[in-house]
Parts: sequence; C-alpha cells; structure tokens
Amino acid sequence: MDLIFFKIALVLYLGASLGYLAFLLKAGAHEAPLGFWCALSGFAAHTLSILHRAIFSGFFPLATSFDALSFFAWFIVGLFLLVGVRHPSPIFGAIGIPIAACLMLVGTTLSYQIKEPVVPVLRSWWLPIHVVLAIAGNAVFTLTAIGGLMYIVQERLIKTKRIGRFYKLLPSLDTLDAINRQGLPLGFFFLTLGIISGALWAGSVWGFYWSWDPKETWSLITWFVYAVMVHQRVVLGWRGKRAAMLAIVGFCLVMFTFLGVNALLGGHHAFDGSRMGAGRL
Amino acid sequence: MNAAVLVIGLNHVTAPVEIREKITFPGDHDGKVTRRIMNIEGVEEAMILSTCNRAEIIAMTDDAKAVAPRIVDSVGEIHGVEPGSIRDYLYIKEGGEAVRHVFRVSASLDSMVLGEPQILGQVKDGYRRAANVHATGPILNRLMHRAFFTAKRVRNETGVGIAAVSVAYVAVELAQKILGDLRDKSVLLIGAGEMAELAARHLVSHVERPLLVVNRTFETACTLAGQFRGSAAAMDRLEDSLAGADVVITSTGSCEALITTQQVKRVMRRRRYRPIFLIDIAIPRDIESGVHDIDGVYLYNIDDLQAVVEENMGERRQEALRAETIVAEEVEKFLNWTRTLDSAPTIIAFREKLEAIRAGELARINGKLAELTPEERDAVEMITRSIINKIAHDPISFLKKYGARSKGNTYLDITQKLFNLNGLTEEYEAKDQESPDT
Repeated sequence: MDLIFFKIALVLYLGASLGYLAFLLKAGAHEAPLGFWCALSGFAAHTLSILHRAIFSGFFPLATSFDALSFFAWFIVGLFLLVGVRHPSPIFGAIGIPIAACLMLVGTTLSYQIKEPVVPVLRSWWLPIHVVLAIAGNAVFTLTAIGGLMYIVQERLIKTKRIGRFYKLLPSLDTLDAINRQGLPLGFFFLTLGIISGALWAGSVWGFYWSWDPKETWSLITWFVYAVMVHQRVVLGWRGKRAAMLAIVGFCLVMFTFLGVNALLGGHHAFDGSRMGAGRL
Repeated sequence: MNAAVLVIGLNHVTAPVEIREKITFPGDHDGKVTRRIMNIEGVEEAMILSTCNRAEIIAMTDDAKAVAPRIVDSVGEIHGVEPGSIRDYLYIKEGGEAVRHVFRVSASLDSMVLGEPQILGQVKDGYRRAANVHATGPILNRLMHRAFFTAKRVRNETGVGIAAVSVAYVAVELAQKILGDLRDKSVLLIGAGEMAELAARHLVSHVERPLLVVNRTFETACTLAGQFRGSAAAMDRLEDSLAGADVVITSTGSCEALITTQQVKRVMRRRRYRPIFLIDIAIPRDIESGVHDIDGVYLYNIDDLQAVVEENMGERRQEALRAETIVAEEVEKFLNWTRTLDSAPTIIAFREKLEAIRAGELARINGKLAELTPEERDAVEMITRSIINKIAHDPISFLKKYGARSKGNTYLDITQKLFNLNGLTEEYEAKDQESPDT
C-alpha cells in the first residue's frame, strides 16, 4: 500500500515510454502529446509517492537505495520535461522518461523497507540537504550527457548530409550546445554544494569533515574533472563536439561515483542502514 | 433527374505553359466571367478556378454531354482563341470523377509542387467570387465545403505539406538546425544570381540583423544591399565579413575557389569556433570542399540541397498515398449525399417523419384514450392521419412538380433542412458553412 503512488507513477512512465516509442517509430503528430501527458501525470503521482513516504517514515525518505533511485528518476523526469517544454521537442521526453522508468524498475528489485531503528546519523536535516543536492547534480549531469550524445549524433548527421527522420527529430545544434553551456555550471554548482554539505554533515556527527571514504575520493575526482570542464567551456570557449564529448566522459565518472562505488568499494555511503557509519564509531 | 458535377479545365500536366498563360479568365476578379459561364444554357451553378498552373470551370448541370461543348466554346470566346485549338489540352470530368478531382486539387494532391499550401486559398477565392455573383447553389456550396474539409483532413492527418521542397526552404531549415533561432544571426551574400538571392530573401525573413553583401564590383554590392536593406562591403574585406557572419551564401562567377580551407581555418579561430553555415550555389564552386572538414563548419552546395529536396519530395509522395484514401472516403460521402437530392427519397423521408410524429404523440396520450370506445379511437386515428395528409399535400405536390426542374435541388435541399430529415442530411456539418449568398 505504501508504494501505491510509486507504482502508479511507474505504470504511467511506462505508458509514456510506449507513446514516445510510437512517436519515434512513426514520427506522427498524435503520439508525442500522449506521451507527454502520461509522463506529466506520472510525475504528479511520483511527487505524491515521495511526500507519502516522507510523511509515513517521519523524515525525508532518502535512507535506502530504493529512495535514492526513485528520487533520481523524479529529478530526471522533471528536468527532461522542463527542457522539452522550453526547447519544444518531444525527443527529450522520449529519452528521459524511459531512463527514469528503468531506474525505477531497478528500484523495485531493492528493498524499500527502512531499517528500524533508523541510525541517529540519518535522523538529521543534513540528510535531505546533502542527498537532494547530490542527486540534483547527478540529474543535471545526466541531461548534459544525453544532450551531448544528441549533439554528436546530430552533428554527424549534418556533416555527412544525411537529412532524414532523425535529423528532423533532434533539436538544433545550438539548442543542444546551450544545454551543455547551462547544464555544466549548474551541475557543477550542485556537485560542489553536495560535497560541502556532506563534509559539514560529517563534521557535525563525527567531528571530522573529510575521511577519504571511497565515495568522497571519487566525488572529489569528479569535482576536479568538472572544474576543468567548466573552465574550458567558460574561459577557453570550448563548445560543440568537444564540450559534448567531455560531458559524456564526465557523466560516466558521475555514474561510477553514484552507483559503482557503493557496489564495489563500500564505505560509509553504503545505503545499508544498520551498518551505516559503523566504521566511524 | 440528378444534377452532376462537371469539371472542364487544363493544368500543368495537360497543357504547355504557352497555353496556360493564355487561358487565365482575365477580368473575373468581380465574378463577371463566372456570370458569363452561368448564362450558358444548362449550367445551373458554376465557379472558376484560376492559378498559374491551372484554369478550371466547375459547373453543375443536368446534361453534361450537351453542356460541356458549350462551355469549351465559351472559354475560347472569352480568351479570343479558336475552341478547337485548346480542346486537346482540356480534361473533361463528370460525376464522381469530377468530385474526386475537385477534392484532390483542394488538398494540393494535383499541384505541380505536391502539397504546396497556396492552392486551397485560390480555390476559396474562386468560390467566393462565384458566391458573390450568385453563381453557387446547394450542390456547389456543399461540394466546396466538403473540399475544404477534405483539404483540412489531409493537412492534419498526413504529412503531405510538411517536408520542405524548395532549395531556399531547405537552406533555411538547415540554418535553423545548425544555428538555432536565426533572429540574432547575420547573413552574408557573396556574388549575385537568382537562386542565391532567393535563398537570401528567405533567410533574411527570419533574421533581424541587416544582410551584408560582398561583390567583386562594389557598385553591384551596393545595389543588391539596397534591395535587401542591408549593407555592402568590398571583396578585400571578405575575411572580416566571414568572421562576422553565421550564414554565408556564395554565388559568384569566379573560376577558382574564392574561399580556401586555410582562410576558413583562420576565420574559425577568430570566431572562437562559433559554427558557420556555408551555402555554395555557384558552379564551379566558390568554396574549397576541404572547408567542410573543419570543426564547426558546415558546407552545403547546390547539389546537396537539391538532394534533400528530392528526399523530402519522396516523403511527400509517400504521404500523398495516405491522402488519396481520405479523398476517396470523402468523395464517397459526397456522392451518397447527392443521391438524396432526388424528389422520391425526400418525399418518403418527409412522410415518414410526419407519421413518426403522429404515432409518437398518440402513444404519449394512450392512457387518456383508454376511456374511449373503439369507434371513438378509430375516429382519433382517422382525424390525425387526415391532418398530416392535409399538411403534407401541398409541399409534396410542389416537390413532385419542381423537384426535377432546374431549381429542384435547392427546393429538395431546403425541404431536408426545414424538416430536419435526418436520414438524409446526417453528415451535414453546419460548422463547415461559410455563409454563401445563395
């Protein structure tokens, strides 16, 4: 019962994905709005699902991998729908919604039970601040990477003079470059605040700000890579294909930090409530 | 007797341009020529459609076989040519074939450039002229409304009009795909020439900044710039001009390449690698083909653009097949309606409607009639029947007498609308009405 909104959202996203798929295959005019409205209602249900869980668990529900994935998916849907409205093109929804649906499908295989008793570390206001910032950064980086991918494909199509269906579906190079231009600094901003808030949180519960936990290390590496990218973009004026390529490379690093580190390297970011922070105490 | 649609005309397929130039129905802007066609014996309704690629008369008549030659003669007279000299270029279509033709023309399926959007407006103009001189009647009104409706369906349900099918439009589309919004971009035109100027004209309509013109002779540049309300620059400032431009159209008579790879590399550095779209319309080429390999430079020559046009054209032809099904559907509906324009079904429907009302009302007061004796009931039955027969008598004898005459269709049509004879007029869509004068 407590996942009812989550399930409704998932079903709507899957429906929207089908609508978008039909749109991609047929390039017809009627399927894309169907996908959009499906996705938008899914987004509403998803929002309810997050509020619902927050109210029932009594605190912002970001203590399990399930919640992290769900929240990540929520951000992606919101972001892709927003961009799809601002630069009118259904292609953003057509790519973003299936990604979100996949993330949620992965989420359903994970346990969503919050381990009781919740360790005191998690009963902190730093939790939502830190996690929301980190996940917002990830979502923005996802968008820039997808934008980069679309840029490379579209650039290739125009260069090789293949002016066909996909050329028409994809947004202009200018739009895609603008996503990179605005997305990089925004994502970098979230990432920076995410790392700072994490350090402050650690400082408030453990007394030290930085402990070279694998996630911290990798976040720092990611931060440096993006710092270089933002510098190239803003100061040296890198743009187009090169900037798009960098956004994709950076995103791979982000995904490793977000998902890979937990699975492979452990540390106090492992979303395993009972052990969480145990190593520190 | 059923009036049938008759179409007589010529178009880009049946007639060479010399003939099309001659047959244009001059002086019909106030419907005078349409009126003249109306005066031909046997023509009940008529309109004239005249565009640069076609000239057609759409008429209603009871006797197409006899009327068609009279119309052809009249067309010859109007244009001062021997009717025999144009007969070979004309097509004459009647009935269902004519209806289909009108629908296809309105939906731009018969146009020289398949799916071009102007034709519908031209059909509407012709119809309006005819309506203004009272040359339209119930059949033509309905035919045209169904034609507009069909054109709307084709536009909304198929992609016949979507893909760009002229070099200039393809160039604008490409520029938008590369540079996004063109409003704040600058266009540079190098050289002159019809095609280049056409492309520039289309681009400039999307751009807010003034066009820059560069030419070997500065005077020519100034004249051209004047036409476009832009500015002119001399050829030795070419590199500066390239550095500031986003879209460049070249079309000079130069024998060797005007813009070299080395030059563009320098320019790109100055532009900080802002993308640039180069359109080379000249033959031989003005721009070295190696330029296209530079990052951020997109070079399309006239053949590339032509290839895109061809591909888009193919796409339109595909969509046109779907449009033909829509037309076939609409023709069928229209022909079904014309069949009801006969006095017999109208009279039957009228009688049935009255009888249904009578029976319905009797059933409603059945409870009160229960107290009556069988004889009294028979009397009620008889008197109600006699009332509707008396009411129906005059209209029916009128329809029998005039329904088959020349104005008959109008009376039948009005009868159906007055009495809301649903079985016959269910598809009638009031929202398609454009309130013609008749």
